[in-house]
Amino acid sequence: MNGLWLVAQREIRTRVRTKSFLVSLAVSAILVAALASLPKILGGDDTYDVGVVGAAPAPVAQLAYQQYPDEAAARKAVIDGDVDAALIDGDRVLANGELDQRLGLILEAAHRDAQIKAAGVTITPLRVESVGADARYERVRAGLATLLVMVLFFLLIYSAMYVAMGVVEEKGSRIVEILLTAVRPWQLLGGKIAGLGALGLINLAVIIVVGLAVSSATGFVADLPPGMGGIIVGAVVWFVLGYAFFSALAAAFGSLVSRQEELNSVLTPMTTLMMLTYVTAYFAAVEPTGTVARVLSLVPPFSSMVMPVRTAAADVPLGEILIAGVLMVAAVIAVLLGAARVYRRAVLRTGARVRLGEVVR
Amino acid sequence: MLEIDGLRKRYGDKTALDGVGFAVRPGEMFGFVGANGAGKTTTMRIVMGVLDADSGEVRLDGRPVTYDDRRAFGYMPEERGLYQKMKVAEQVEYFGRLHGLAPAAARSAAAALLERLGLADRRGDAVEALSLGNQQRVQLAVALVHDPAVLILDEPFSGLDPLAVDALVEVLKDRAAAGVPVIFSSHQLDLVERLCDSVGIISAGRMVACGPVGELREREGRGVLQVVVRGAAPGWADGLPGELTREGDRDVLLCEEGDDQAILRTAIEAGKVEHFGRRQPTLAEIFREAVA
Repeated sequence: MNGLWLVAQREIRTRVRTKSFLVSLAVSAILVAALASLPKILGGDDTYDVGVVGAAPAPVAQLAYQQYPDEAAARKAVIDGDVDAALIDGDRVLANGELDQRLGLILEAAHRDAQIKAAGVTITPLRVESVGADARYERVRAGLATLLVMVLFFLLIYSAMYVAMGVVEEKGSRIVEILLTAVRPWQLLGGKIAGLGALGLINLAVIIVVGLAVSSATGFVADLPPGMGGIIVGAVVWFVLGYAFFSALAAAFGSLVSRQEELNSVLTPMTTLMMLTYVTAYFAAVEPTGTVARVLSLVPPFSSMVMPVRTAAADVPLGEILIAGVLMVAAVIAVLLGAARVYRRAVLRTGARVRLGEVVR
Repeated sequence: MLEIDGLRKRYGDKTALDGVGFAVRPGEMFGFVGANGAGKTTTMRIVMGVLDADSGEVRLDGRPVTYDDRRAFGYMPEERGLYQKMKVAEQVEYFGRLHGLAPAAARSAAAALLERLGLADRRGDAVEALSLGNQQRVQLAVALVHDPAVLILDEPFSGLDPLAVDALVEVLKDRAAAGVPVIFSSHQLDLVERLCDSVGIISAGRMVACGPVGELREREGRGVLQVVVRGAAPGWADGLPGELTREGDRDVLLCEEGDDQAILRTAIEAGKVEHFGRRQPTLAEIFREAVA
């Protein structure tokens, strides 16, 4: 275990010091901050400014009143666009051209309420009961899921690529021959995967923290669905599982070649699988209750991205999450064992590309 | 004692090793020589456990070498490898830690070794910034940092300048004096001859000669008899075995067989004997003969 820890430590220390790591961390933080403040910028203000001349009416949630001394001042404010409309003496509305329909309805309702109240009549408002699924957060959840697809995909492919590059670096420079006289292959491989995985987690944590911080700063956090904690924990757990799966594949394929230039071609099966996972996860974000999403959210390795996206986009029965989790853990164990076997046999065979068939037997 | 016994290794239908065996005592410096592709590197990689033999065994003090034994070995592979972007001292220290040293011990061992190898002022530089010769020294430091119980060095002298060779020789002598068996391969036969207690010659996957350098000289060269006679009449050596060359009035007779006492008597009668003795073959000559 000590060997694994030493290897992981070196990976972290070496990588954290590089400029590219800090830059990627900063870029992802900035991107997420921008995305999190997007609803605020696009949605604009959802309250109306209303100028008032005369007595102030009863307060209404969507309206912000502004007092004007006389009608002429209020008229000027409407024309200048300082207010959306002006209410004169509680019975006349000034609008710039046509009155905004929604604002009109709100003013009308407020006006009616005031008159009914003045007449001493109390009315009970209609109660609304939802009989379908809770659809209030549908749009926010879909947006969240789409964001999660991108974040998971980039973090996974980026971290797995670093594992593959590290394996080739050690094989290509032949340093692996000395390393393997001091540590066992699984320690070297495991340390590399664990160390670079920890960095991926740091990146994910930065994204989550920045996203939540910006959301609460812009007030967007109030629109987030309940159970955000579960969604975040789920995303982290699925990232760890997906990363373990894909990085083990990356290490196994990477150990077949001795030069970085050959890496892209040898990694093609892995990157193809990741792209497929990405595409299905993207569809799951759009249509989280569809059959494709439901089935593939159970099948490893697709589940590593589809399941967290599905849980973000819609409610998923706990049983399905558990089945997906068990299957994915089993797949991760199988891939780790297989990758360790390929790695152990291929990593010392420098020179020409090693055929996968020669080392899996 | 490190014993290598009956190693065999095949790659497809090509036999790389065909029963290689020799032993190196504690404190003994063993020179491993052979033509390119003879099997030196394969043997050393098997000793280090980097490669598995098809059959045969490597023993340390009478029992088969285990993984934990090998962690205490020092190894310099033929293909040099270092983390190019890692700093010199950090790198040496890292390998010390991997071999099981505590952090403080690894740090002080790395510092002392770099000092000794003349790299103290480069300790903070990335390896890639060093010249090849200096990278080679770092490679050596990596092999030595954990004070190894056995040293296996594949071509440690190649690419070193004379000063670095001297420094390395000193370090190796030091290790051997501390009771460590040292095996190194080299094509610099004069160096091997000067440095090693024993030599093993490998050819096409077989050990063709092995033993103390002095013994090999007698056994392999069998000491060619060289007689130099001045002023002898032509034809004096007609009845003798061997080859005669004449330069002016100076005759040189080289005999590989025959009764040396009888040859001496004949020579004395023929002229003035200036030299009579067995010529010691150099390691290079022994090597050429052994692999021929």
